[in-house]
Amino acid sequence: MSEKVILSINKLSFGYSKERELLKNLNLNLNEGEILGVLGASGIGKSSLLRIIVGLEVPKTGEVFYQEKLLNKKNYVLPTQKRNIGLVVQEKALFPHLNVLENVKFGLVGSRRKKNDQAMKYLNLLQADKFAKLMPNKLSGGEQQRVAIARALAPEPKLLLMDEPFSSLDADLRKALRSDTRDLFKETKTSCIIVTHDFEDADKFCDVVSKLEEGQIKYL
Amino acid sequence: MPMIGLNLAKYSWQLGIFLIFFIFIIPIAFVISSLFGEYNENWNHLIDYVLANYVLNSLLLIFGVSILSLIFGVGSAWLITNYEFINKYWLEWALILPLAVPPYILAYTFTGLFDTFGSANELLRFFFNSNDDFSFFPNVRNIFGAIIVFSFTLYPYIYLTARMAFINQSRTLIEAGRILGLENNSIFFKLAIPMARPAIIAGLALVIMETLSDFGAVEHFAVPTFTIGIYRTWFGMYDLNTAMQLASLLLIFISFFLILERIERRKLSYSYASSTFKTVKKHKLKGYKNLLAFLFCFTPLFIGFLVPMMEISNWAINYTSENFFSDIFLKSFINTVILGILAGIICTLFAFFFNFLKRFETGSYLKGISFLLSMGYSIPGLVLAVGIIQFFSLLDNNFLSSCLNLILTGSIVGLLLAYIIKSYALANNSIESGYERINYAIDDVSLSLKVSKFKIFFQVHVPLLKTSILTSLLLVISEVIKELPATLILRPFNFDTLAVTTYIYAAEERMFEAATPAIMIVLIGLVPIFFLSRIIRESRPGKT
Repeated sequence: MSEKVILSINKLSFGYSKERELLKNLNLNLNEGEILGVLGASGIGKSSLLRIIVGLEVPKTGEVFYQEKLLNKKNYVLPTQKRNIGLVVQEKALFPHLNVLENVKFGLVGSRRKKNDQAMKYLNLLQADKFAKLMPNKLSGGEQQRVAIARALAPEPKLLLMDEPFSSLDADLRKALRSDTRDLFKETKTSCIIVTHDFEDADKFCDVVSKLEEGQIKYL
Repeated sequence: MPMIGLNLAKYSWQLGIFLIFFIFIIPIAFVISSLFGEYNENWNHLIDYVLANYVLNSLLLIFGVSILSLIFGVGSAWLITNYEFINKYWLEWALILPLAVPPYILAYTFTGLFDTFGSANELLRFFFNSNDDFSFFPNVRNIFGAIIVFSFTLYPYIYLTARMAFINQSRTLIEAGRILGLENNSIFFKLAIPMARPAIIAGLALVIMETLSDFGAVEHFAVPTFTIGIYRTWFGMYDLNTAMQLASLLLIFISFFLILERIERRKLSYSYASSTFKTVKKHKLKGYKNLLAFLFCFTPLFIGFLVPMMEISNWAINYTSENFFSDIFLKSFINTVILGILAGIICTLFAFFFNFLKRFETGSYLKGISFLLSMGYSIPGLVLAVGIIQFFSLLDNNFLSSCLNLILTGSIVGLLLAYIIKSYALANNSIESGYERINYAIDDVSLSLKVSKFKIFFQVHVPLLKTSILTSLLLVISEVIKELPATLILRPFNFDTLAVTTYIYAAEERMFEAATPAIMIVLIGLVPIFFLSRIIRESRPGKT
């Protein structure tokens, strides 16, 4: 594994109110191709950490570097759409009016043929190519999550953030999707931060497992 | 969701928002500011001789309308939600049909039917072979006639809100009441009504605001209320300033009901059952109870919709069918449709603009502005017209006519502004409720896919909100078509709409001619109502 750092967070603080600070002077380093698991109880700030990295929340203080580029300065935060960081959420958030292929193509640029090929490649890798023409409401929870992961990976971000991606799946499906997704990340050399409350998910899926406690990352 | 990027584009959006806000607010500000101006002898005349009469009549009117519309609105909503009886399935949606009939059209129908030489009296005289001047019905051209007209056209506001509240009341709660020994009547009065109270009061506040804002029906029945006072002061005494002072009083009066409606609506979310929801088990009524329940629900539908529809259809088809091809009708129809579509598009675009920005912008100012803009629906058309005339006169006299050789007063712009201010809330409610059904995670994920907000708007939000856009357009168009007082005052010279044509014919007692535009107003008004009834049926919690 390469030792080059892809994401670096220094002294990050964040809270939704002055009284309750979720993240306090948090530091985190993620290497290229590494999969980091963040465990923690509900409401402790796991999702907020991902939202700050992807640019959906603004930290109170601290710095976030991605591929050696500073994402937030005083009075300026790089917008989410310019970060090239993928996001997969527990709700899947598939576009209900688009079919599976159109969902995966949504974030792609280039010719129609190029977009089709790229989308089909990732659907193929996640074994979801057989439902390419189906609408999202015709898929099971596990199938929808495969499509959501394919959609996030298709623009080929170097970093993918996953918020409880397996939590709504039953045990067998969870195991299969976990294993397929990990293999794919390793094959595409995609770095990943996954937040979960499930230790088994973190243990089986990640290279490094950590815990968010008292606003800071503690490696296990 | 919070978003970011301090740049010029963001400030230009904000500038646009404040510009829209000021254009909305200035006509109202003009009206209110008149309270702090000079009071002339006309004002003293109003205070000494007629204001008490306006207040008393307005209070009597809202008292009577409240009682009658509460009885039929709440009663029919309760019966439809909790009982099975004959013809219940079509009554369920048909009970909102009177919303398509503006009160002034029912008023014209009433006089056409019940005046001494009206159709109903003629028919009964024919059957009973009575004298030509014998009247079987009491005079309807008074406050009691007005109370009946308003109650039977406006009760659907209460029916709709009460029905939604009753639908959302879980069977578990009703069963808990029974276990505690409550009889049917006690369940209704001690459990169902208190739980549905915020919804009922919200609906009632709408009924009262509509009653106070009306001009056409009270004018036809010669009941001097606030709106009549404003009109008479302006066009009888030619005193715009005193008319504005009177309009300010009406606005303050209406604000009370607007605040009440908002407070009660806020309470609604607490009164709905959620996780333990079970649909109410309906009781099948038999014998005379079955018939009584049907008659109770059929009566408001009969008086508020079927009677006017039968009467104006009869007039339009049997007496004046050629009027459907007359120049006057066709011109008013085209004018109305153009105005309705323009107002519908502008309101929907504004509502889209605000709600889209609300998705991505932090800060409560957007919510505050949107809330204030939504209050426009409570402002009577007549009051708006007064404010717009004053605002445009100022612009014309000081800037436009001298610098740009342009005159806004008496142009279609004023009319559109009045429609937009009055109907924005309808568009906003449709678009806002559509947006509430789109998970924020969809926006978050879209942004992470490196797509612009522009693309999210056109490729995600617009396709997902197609029904909301259509509902918004239809609701605004139907509101514009019915609007009378603002149109009457602000329309350009020689520019008539269906509502104005109906009013002019009715004012000249040419009821047969009035029927042609009137029937068109009702027919167009029916379209959004069918949509609305479908939405209500689909909104039931626990629906499979």
